[in-house]
Amino acid sequence: MPDVVAEAENVWMEYKDIIALRDVSLQVGEGKIKVLFGPSGSGKSTLLRCLAMLTKPTRGKVFLRGEELTSPEADIDKARAKIGFVFQNILLFHHLRALGNVTLGLRRVLGLPKQEAREKAMKALREVRMERWVDHYPAELSGGQQQRVGIARALAMEPEIILFDEPTSSLDPELKGEVLDAMKDLAKKGRTMLIATHEMHFAREAADEMIFQDEGRIIERGTPKHFFTNPSTDRARRFLARLVREGQSNV
Amino acid sequence: MNALEQLIFLLEGVQITLSVSVFAFLLGIATGIPMMLLRAFGGKLWELIVEGYEKVLRGVPIVILMLLFYFGIGVRVPFLRDPFVSAALALGIRSGAYQSQIFKGAMRGVGEDQMTAARALGMSKLKAFRHVVLPQMFIIASAGLGSEYALIVKDSAYAFFLGGGLLDVITRADILRAYALTEHWEYPYFAYIPTALIYIALTFPLATYLDRWGSRRKKKLGI
Repeated sequence: MPDVVAEAENVWMEYKDIIALRDVSLQVGEGKIKVLFGPSGSGKSTLLRCLAMLTKPTRGKVFLRGEELTSPEADIDKARAKIGFVFQNILLFHHLRALGNVTLGLRRVLGLPKQEAREKAMKALREVRMERWVDHYPAELSGGQQQRVGIARALAMEPEIILFDEPTSSLDPELKGEVLDAMKDLAKKGRTMLIATHEMHFAREAADEMIFQDEGRIIERGTPKHFFTNPSTDRARRFLARLVREGQSNV
Repeated sequence: MNALEQLIFLLEGVQITLSVSVFAFLLGIATGIPMMLLRAFGGKLWELIVEGYEKVLRGVPIVILMLLFYFGIGVRVPFLRDPFVSAALALGIRSGAYQSQIFKGAMRGVGEDQMTAARALGMSKLKAFRHVVLPQMFIIASAGLGSEYALIVKDSAYAFFLGGGLLDVITRADILRAYALTEHWEYPYFAYIPTALIYIALTFPLATYLDRWGSRRKKKLGI
């Protein structure tokens, strides 16, 4: 399958007294948007981190464009440069301005000359509508603005896939919208994305497939329509009902 | 010598005191950071070795290190037979043992997440450290580095024990004392007061500046 961008094959992640992932397999095809959801502690973050090889799975294989990243010979740094990662707690580089956050990887990883890195970074920052804030330090930006820079930082590297680890869950409700809008824009442009999120409106609107994970296992997968009309497992149904209830009480 | 000439004679030592101190301070950074890294990433054995080394250096009076270098090892190693080299080296490696601690705290302050974010971009550990962790460490460490610098300048006065071959501020004060007391030994001698003021002038402004700069910067960057 040449159009598979990222793949996990029978991945396990076992810690001393907890199993975070149990035999998880997943493929994300070119241009696809997949949403990963499930209760906290269900292993969504761990799965994303394994796909980016930020942690090495204890068993199973991870591929990027058919290249096995879990193999000892794999050049992990090189692979990570092709995988965008947007963090739950944003993790911008505190000591660099918005522009510097985006150019750092372009300069130091891809080795682009200063001017070219700057142009690419500006393009990415425009895509998330942050071009007017390029000279601000992260601490001078709102959470939503910071996360948009976080997205631009990943985007500018022109990655094969962007992994989003609950990108809005650390934000105040009124700041989530601007980040979700930026993500929707990327979705429309055909970016390949795997997104762990509880934002069901976003999932309904943007996802090609939704994947429900619980206790380290993938329990159920299907289209948004499938999940929102007739999920087949009890656990998914209960979880969705709870999300909807909480979503309503938040509004 | 009149009072002005004496003051000028003292001030001419500033250059030497500062050279010894700055050299020692830089040597402290150059040894402190690798020691901190060895301790953090080198495994249990290195951790023990570095910890032992640091404990010894921090526990020994600096003047003993200087004397050991100059009169001890220096007898066999001609390179150390220069009071400047012996003093700067002793101050520098001892400072490394303290700076290692300062940087260790600073790295903890930067936090592992910054490293993770840099690695996620495809940076090697070394690049991530160099471009993301280290610049922030210096900001967090600035106040500590300022007082460490002040300590080195003051402790450089122990070079006085190396026999007067190094014409730094304190040694010059002693030369003035010898000169004054041969002629007027019955008068009280006060040239140590300007000497002390010179040391304060060499330490206080820079240490204070670094402290303030660091706090402002930390506040601005939210670290």
